[in-house]
Amino acid sequence: MPDLLLDVKGLETQFKTPDGIVHAVNGVSFGLKEGETLGVVGESGCGKSVTMLSVLGLIPSPPGKVTAGEAKFFGQDLLKMSNDEIRHVRGAQISMVFQDPMTSLNPVLTIGRQLEEPLILHIGMTKNQARERAAELLAMVGIPNPKDRLNDYPHQYSGGMRQRVMIAMSLACSPQILIADEPTTALDVTIQAQIMDLVKRLRDELGMAIVWITHDLGVVAGIAQRVLVMYGGFIVEEATVGDLFANPSHPYTIGLLGSLPRIDGKEEGRLYSIDGHPPVLYQKPRSCPFAPRCKWAMEKCWQENPLLTPVSSEHRVACWVDTKTGRAR
Amino acid sequence: MVTFIIRRLLLVPVLLFGVTVLIFAMLQLLSPIERSALYVKDFPKNEKAVEGIIRQYGLDRPLYEQYWRWLVGTVDTVNNVRHGGILFGDLGYSRTSSTPVADLIASRFPNTLDLTLWAIGPVIFVGIWLGVQAAVHQNGLIDQAARIFSIIGTSFPTFVFGLLFILIFYATLEWLPPGRLADEYMQVVNSDEFRRYTTLITIDALLNGRFDVFWDALKHMFLPILTLSYISWATFLRVTRSSMLETLRMEYVTTARAKGLSEHDVIYKHAQPNAMIPVVTLAGFSVVGLLGGVVITETVFNYPGIGSAAARAATQLDVVTMLGFALFNGFILIVSNLAVDILYAVVDPRVRLS
Ligand SMILES: Nc1ncnc2c1ncn2[C@@H]1O[C@H](COP(=O)(O)OP(=O)(O)O)[C@@H](O)[C@H]1O
Ligand code: SF4
Ligand SMILES: [Mg+2]
Repeated sequence: MPDLLLDVKGLETQFKTPDGIVHAVNGVSFGLKEGETLGVVGESGCGKSVTMLSVLGLIPSPPGKVTAGEAKFFGQDLLKMSNDEIRHVRGAQISMVFQDPMTSLNPVLTIGRQLEEPLILHIGMTKNQARERAAELLAMVGIPNPKDRLNDYPHQYSGGMRQRVMIAMSLACSPQILIADEPTTALDVTIQAQIMDLVKRLRDELGMAIVWITHDLGVVAGIAQRVLVMYGGFIVEEATVGDLFANPSHPYTIGLLGSLPRIDGKEEGRLYSIDGHPPVLYQKPRSCPFAPRCKWAMEKCWQENPLLTPVSSEHRVACWVDTKTGRAR
Repeated sequence: MVTFIIRRLLLVPVLLFGVTVLIFAMLQLLSPIERSALYVKDFPKNEKAVEGIIRQYGLDRPLYEQYWRWLVGTVDTVNNVRHGGILFGDLGYSRTSSTPVADLIASRFPNTLDLTLWAIGPVIFVGIWLGVQAAVHQNGLIDQAARIFSIIGTSFPTFVFGLLFILIFYATLEWLPPGRLADEYMQVVNSDEFRRYTTLITIDALLNGRFDVFWDALKHMFLPILTLSYISWATFLRVTRSSMLETLRMEYVTTARAKGLSEHDVIYKHAQPNAMIPVVTLAGFSVVGLLGGVVITETVFNYPGIGSAAARAATQLDVVTMLGFALFNGFILIVSNLAVDILYAVVDPRVRLS
């Protein structure tokens, strides 16, 4: 595959817990092209965050550990980098925005100070240059009176404004990749839409690639070109947004789509919604991890975990059953 | 910030009023005859004279009148002198020290203040440092060692360490003496050319350029400070460690790492300032404890501070002196609380700007 900006292969991440080893990510492979927006979808606990944190070496260790895989970025494996090497990638070339803007900014440091930090660290700006640039960044994400507001502390900003600050901070050094981990989940609907519009505008201006993590397929439709669906630490389906909505092939994807409210508000359009919760895997599963919740499940599903296999050129699915026909593939 | 401090300052008189009422109430536990001893140096043997004192000081008057008198005293218009009145610094006469209580405090407190000054670093900052190290190396060798070491410190009574240290450093090694100063240096301090700028011996010694006196004073404080530090480290370690561990799990710490900051900056610039917020309270209490006189430590090392004087007054049932100290401690507590509140505002902008 040409011009992949980020190329992740066979990523595995585990956590040592008192109850045993949690297999959070179990051999995840995906690519990210320059300038594209990749959606990552799945219920809470499916391994979306851990996957992305692993790529940046941000898994808390102990208890966590990346046990296998590679993540090629400009020819270098991020997973093999030393702490000091990967520090210069973080925040400079790949940056991250987190879910809860109420807790992701440091409450005892001014907004200005927090915005200046990456500029001084990665670009080598002086304090004064960084301050000026920080004001520009605040203006860029639509904060009024940016110069004055640099001296404020996070608690003086609203939730939506804090997330704007986080976005400004993550884009400070013009990274090639922005990883947004459920950046709108904690915000109310109108603010959510504003943040998405902001990111889309900045994407058009700055041209960075985006990994947009969400548990909401509806959000993905509005921003991404391609989607990964994750379940139990596996990618279970991968497709372009159009293809995924037109031909959802994995029972889990169908379930997620089925639980979306229809635009016309009618109930009949709902396919079905899935009962239960994603598993916490204490062993690498030998059966399909979705089998306990799957209405298509057949005997083979309990014996072997299906691999991600192409169904068309840009569409891959990990399932033994062709959900269109209800028969084995 | 300014309005915050002003608001807190306005609270001080209210709190002081509360303290005086409380201590006045304690005074009422004594009979008028016992209370009359507050006011005279030589308590008369004859009953008439005692009654005279009671009447003179209004000890048989209604409570509010007595309270007021206790606060401001009475003015003898003939000689134009004031008798009594805690507001004017008359805390009664100390039987055990044969001086007015106020003079006793004035002579002892500088020693306690001196000890506090030099103990803050080892007690608080080393304690905090231990806690941060333990958290950063959670469950590692440093963590375990620091915990065991400091738990030993809290599990024994203070005097055990005091006596042990005296046995080792004084009796056996003869390195560090108890007391305040060697006699020869005490003479220097009391001589006329030694100027008492601050009444703190170490500071005055430095200001007078007498490094020998300074060194001797430090040597005398070394064991008390060691004892005080060792018994308080466990508390600082525990509070700092758990606060630090909690902070290190916060999302803004991940944000700091995701920005590419070095682990050193993540810990000391982003996590530690947040982790210090609960430690401020503990540090405040600790300083109050030190300023109020550390009774056992001062007694064991024969250190002439507030604590050892209070111990002597207490063992000899010198109620007047005890109450004077209680009043003084109340005052220190209120002032220190104010300092802690201000410190809170300094470390936490959410307090400062609310
Ligand atoms: N620090 C941790 N300790 C133990 N288990 C963890 C930790 N972080 C994540 N996990 C486990 O990893 C799995 C994936 O979590 P995560 O990637 O956060 O899910 P999500 O898809 O909601 O982002 C979950 O089962 C979770 O319990
Ligand atoms: S493999 Fe079987 S159990 Fe798994 S999703 Fe497909 S049909 Fe369901
Ligand atoms: Mg997550």
